[in-house]
Amino acid sequence: MVPVTVTPGLEINNRFGVFNHTDLIGLPYGTKVSSRNGRGFVYVLRPTPELWTLSLPHRTQILYIADIAFIISCLNIRPGSSVIEAGTGSGSFSHSVARTIGPSGRLHSYEFHEERATKARDEFALHGMTMVELSHRNVCQQGFALLDEADAVFLDLPAPWEAVPHAKLAMKKNRVTHICCFSPCIEQVLRTVNALNRSGFTDLTMYETLLRPHEVHQVPKLVSIDSIVEQVKLHEIKKEQRRLQQVEASDKKRNNLKRKREQTEEGGPDLDLGTGDQKRRRDLDASHPSTAVDVDSTVTKHTLDPSSPPLNHKEARLAALATSTPMSKPMPEVRGHTSYLTFATLLPALNNEMVMEKNDDPDNVGARWEDTETTDAFDQLLASIPEDELDRVLAGQALADG
Amino acid sequence: MDNSGPHTSSPGPQNASNKDNRHIIHPNSQLLIRLPTKEVRNIRIDASPGEKSINLGKFGSLKQKYLVGQPYGLSYEVQNDKTLVILPPRRLEELEETGATNELIVDGNEFVQPLTYTEIDALKKSGLHASEIIKRQIESHANFELKTEYSKDKYRKRKQAKFAKEITVLEPSLFNVTSYFFEKDPAKIMHLRIDTLGQMANLANLRPGGRYIVVDAVSGLLVATALERLGGEGRVLYMSESDTPPQFQALDLLNMPESHISILKQLDWAASDEDHEPIRAPFETDTGEYRSIGQKERYEKRKLALEAHAQLREEFFAGEWDGLLIAAQYEPFSIVQRLTPYLAGSATITIYSPFLQILSEAQAKMRPLPAYLSPSITEAWLRQYQVLPGRTHPMMSMTGGGGYILHAIHVYDDPTASSAMAGLRQRKRQQRERNASRAAEKSKNKAVLEANQDVEMLSEVDK
Repeated sequence: MVPVTVTPGLEINNRFGVFNHTDLIGLPYGTKVSSRNGRGFVYVLRPTPELWTLSLPHRTQILYIADIAFIISCLNIRPGSSVIEAGTGSGSFSHSVARTIGPSGRLHSYEFHEERATKARDEFALHGMTMVELSHRNVCQQGFALLDEADAVFLDLPAPWEAVPHAKLAMKKNRVTHICCFSPCIEQVLRTVNALNRSGFTDLTMYETLLRPHEVHQVPKLVSIDSIVEQVKLHEIKKEQRRLQQVEASDKKRNNLKRKREQTEEGGPDLDLGTGDQKRRRDLDASHPSTAVDVDSTVTKHTLDPSSPPLNHKEARLAALATSTPMSKPMPEVRGHTSYLTFATLLPALNNEMVMEKNDDPDNVGARWEDTETTDAFDQLLASIPEDELDRVLAGQALADG
Repeated sequence: MDNSGPHTSSPGPQNASNKDNRHIIHPNSQLLIRLPTKEVRNIRIDASPGEKSINLGKFGSLKQKYLVGQPYGLSYEVQNDKTLVILPPRRLEELEETGATNELIVDGNEFVQPLTYTEIDALKKSGLHASEIIKRQIESHANFELKTEYSKDKYRKRKQAKFAKEITVLEPSLFNVTSYFFEKDPAKIMHLRIDTLGQMANLANLRPGGRYIVVDAVSGLLVATALERLGGEGRVLYMSESDTPPQFQALDLLNMPESHISILKQLDWAASDEDHEPIRAPFETDTGEYRSIGQKERYEKRKLALEAHAQLREEFFAGEWDGLLIAAQYEPFSIVQRLTPYLAGSATITIYSPFLQILSEAQAKMRPLPAYLSPSITEAWLRQYQVLPGRTHPMMSMTGGGGYILHAIHVYDDPTASSAMAGLRQRKRQQRERNASRAAEKSKNKAVLEANQDVEMLSEVDK
């Protein structure tokens, strides 16, 4: 799969043939396009974040659908959500989030590697992702330059614990908000959990998620072992019959020879050497009167028998398909680990009015939670931030507003 | 919403028209309340809460009005006078290692806890706070000090679940609603786990402005997911067994604003048949005159409903749907086959089943057909960990499975296109034939050579 921006005049040339971009214009998505030289074809698909994940240029390790989909569900990301992501990386997660939040949402994406930031910014622009705002910034040191802004935060950083206090500032305080930290190592998880706990996040949960692909095979109907028991028995009989036939034949031969000799020499006793075996043969025939018929019908029933009359190849395949069922088994080699997903919740900030009794004015319900202005808890939070850091955050906020 | 749209059983929360208001509890809101036992209960706030109460059994009862206006997510302690006290966020506490072991603890000793049931009941009735009861229990617990700190912590938590009157109002997110059903009544949602549902939403490319057909036998969870991800823009078409509005319990719990639900339409399966003429009661009298105003209104209403239905059918037959999502009790391929003509090129087909076998069979039927690009089956695997300081490990029990997804992309076939592989195969065959004839020449010579050698070997044996 290759991502293509249709540009008249350009050609796609790969092992599936040669394709001219101009030929693609005006085709509906999903069209099967034949190669110019008539050998090979491609499907022209509508780009989706899922297909982009499978074909994007890797600048870093990327997230795949299992983690992406789970994170989006857990963070309750939906149209209109304001989401923070750090770092941007190769933009695999960004595309999924942008699709889900839609034009009414906002994705604040941060990347500390300048070249990657530039490349990602170009990609987002090319893909028309106007809801994404990308900043080249080290969030662990400089924070997010946002206050009370995000519904959800996703941290895919080597040291997410350093960014946790900054993330708290950037998250909305008048409602439940969520954070997810994505780390491959358990040691990182422990430090992150510690930081989240210390910053006042609650409901800490941690997950691992994977997708197990299954492959479907047409499996012929399995033969019962009972029939094999019968088959082996018949084989025994057949073998014995063959032996007896051989004995009989050689007896005959010897007798003939003898008769010839007797005819020439005249006289001498008649030595019947095969008496014992002939008796056995008579017994065998008596106990299995229809042996010969059975043998034939049984072997044709079981294709496993090497002595069965050879079906032609196509017939055999059709016969097998007719009795086969689709069965699944997991792919032999699958992804075993991507990362640990640590989730936490930031509860709405409390004010000092703890007993609800005092707030039963029906006209005023909800009013306290609608504004995001300072509450006592938030004041305390601000007070706990070093002054120079706060200045920097507020300056950044001013910049963002300006 | 017009007559062809399904109705949720409740009129929906008030004030919900404001999109940015969903984080606050309103009259009419559906709530998920988590009890100290971790059990989650569904309760609806009355349209006019007044002095009405919510009874939580042994965890007390509270007046609804105290919850109205609160943001979701907070924890409260239920007071004896039915008021609430907000609890501050609780942190995880690190436990200090004491070197205690269970060496001296006798298993199955019944006499370590001398407080009897009646004594505890009396304490509760005296209005003593839960923490005080637990403290007394610990004091009278003969072996408490012998326990390890971890064991003490577990004991305290167990007692808290029993006596504390702490509740949490969960936010009505898809995650919480799905988890609620998954734990409470998984059969209602065909054991569809949240990670699987999330993957379906992504694989189906659900996005604002898209148009999707949904076949839902999971209490409306799939419909709700589509509506939530569309955010009021686009179309969700629910295929139904009858023309009566379905009960979408999962949708109710999300407290979605009316604007989100208005894009949902319902079409019955009979109407999906292009040749079918829906049989409906007449909407005009033969004479064109009405017996009464009531009759006239009734007929006009009928006419509107009929027109809306016809219009919806037109929309359906016009096709170009962006995706088909299925979590149904019917043979999935029969649904796919019936609806494929109306899917757009590159549309997504996403089918859920708790049974792998059902999807395997559907996949086997789809694979040979050129309209479906790479139908593939995946199974979601999810493991949760306990993350307590110094006590991090996978949960001792986990869900056995979250079900399976069959996913494919709808494409337009071009029967004249020959695959590069076919060309390659042809070239390879020609090459093989050339090689074979060459090899045959060679082997003829070789056979002669070998025969000569055999003869030589034989002659050696003879000697």
